[in-house]
Amino acid sequence: MRYAFYIGCTIPVKALKYEISTRSLTGSLGIELIDIPEFSCCGYPVRSMDFFTSLVMSARNLAIAEKKGLDIIGICTGCMAILSEAKEYLEDPIIRNKVNKKLKALGIKEYTGSVKVKHLARFLYEDYGFDRLRERIIKPLNSLEFGVHYGCHYMKPTSAYGHFDDPSNPATLDELINLTGATTIDYPNKNLCCGFTIMGHAEELGLRLAAEKLECLSNIGVDAMALACPSCCIAYENNQKVVGKRTGKEFDLPVLYFTQIVGLSIGLEEEKLGFEFNRIKVDRIAKKLARD
Amino acid sequence: MYNYLLDKERLRYCYQCGKCSSGCDVNRLDGSFQPHRLLHLISIGAIDKVLKSADIWKCTTCFTCSERCPQGIRVTDILWNMRAMAVKSGHIPELLVHQREVLLKAGRLYSVGPIDNKKRGKAGLNAIPEEHPVIAKIFEISEVED
Repeated sequence: MRYAFYIGCTIPVKALKYEISTRSLTGSLGIELIDIPEFSCCGYPVRSMDFFTSLVMSARNLAIAEKKGLDIIGICTGCMAILSEAKEYLEDPIIRNKVNKKLKALGIKEYTGSVKVKHLARFLYEDYGFDRLRERIIKPLNSLEFGVHYGCHYMKPTSAYGHFDDPSNPATLDELINLTGATTIDYPNKNLCCGFTIMGHAEELGLRLAAEKLECLSNIGVDAMALACPSCCIAYENNQKVVGKRTGKEFDLPVLYFTQIVGLSIGLEEEKLGFEFNRIKVDRIAKKLARD
Repeated sequence: MYNYLLDKERLRYCYQCGKCSSGCDVNRLDGSFQPHRLLHLISIGAIDKVLKSADIWKCTTCFTCSERCPQGIRVTDILWNMRAMAVKSGHIPELLVHQREVLLKAGRLYSVGPIDNKKRGKAGLNAIPEEHPVIAKIFEISEVED
């Protein structure tokens, strides 16, 4: 099982715990993620500058993986959505030909459309298989309760994702977390956007979006939020104090990546899952687990 | 190419039902942000008004409007394209000017310096390249496309 690892822009700089836990988890499961230094930004920020340039940027990344004969696994939902939507636009021969002309000028033969793009969580669900993963779970997290935040780009646009999961009632990440023995809850604003993408343009609105979900999950009293996107994590964890201050509330809600949660359940040590980088302390979770 | 991409987004099929706006969480918090109004303004040719508006920068690109549209209009992509058109017509938010500078140099949205790589090394992770000149080339050859 060899895949091109699409790490994206945010993770290697701002989400080290996600990268560390992903590398430990996949290594332990026998999923070989190959680093591709030629990969660039997926094209997300460039969509706001020039759509066609963004398509060329996405296609270049896709074509590089194709040339190496590897499908892409990523862990940033934003990157996965942009690359998947680019694939959808590139199905149009007129667009594909125009883009391929640009790729030639960049020294890349062509983009054919053969490469598959998947978020690691989706890969575990569809390809690795939950039955196989279940056999690896040696430290069930029975005492923990999570509120899962999917992130908009985990399953939208659905047309680009082949209608994987249901945006109005998503289930695959819950099922993945449940596999570890932990409980996940349904909560009123489960499908709410984290607001990260507008925190730079319309800060107040972005922070209010983040505050709504933090408040909801804090009131319910889950042990932590579980998520699968570095941008969402910045909104809910890195910015948690700011969000609280600006909305007159005080939050203390740990935020864990699904890779950290699954990693714990298969017996990986905390150091190998990047917990030292969790900004909201996870002591209470550790205590609960120690009692189990 | 620009018009071709817009056409793919199916703007002309909009019959102003407002389902995009009613499902939008930004609209819920800020009633002045109404995706269906923006689509209407674009349809009647009042595009300048849209490009000058702060509203196009309030979209989180969550794709909920596109998912809800009964006409299969890629509402999010249309609004996204309006940003690009706004930038081309000189309405560039400061954040974007900065992002572009970093992208052209680093090939990434965030610049990577020696401090970042030192931190990565300490955590047992490989250093990542600080520069990625191909991005400047991509902009150079692609942006001229009309």
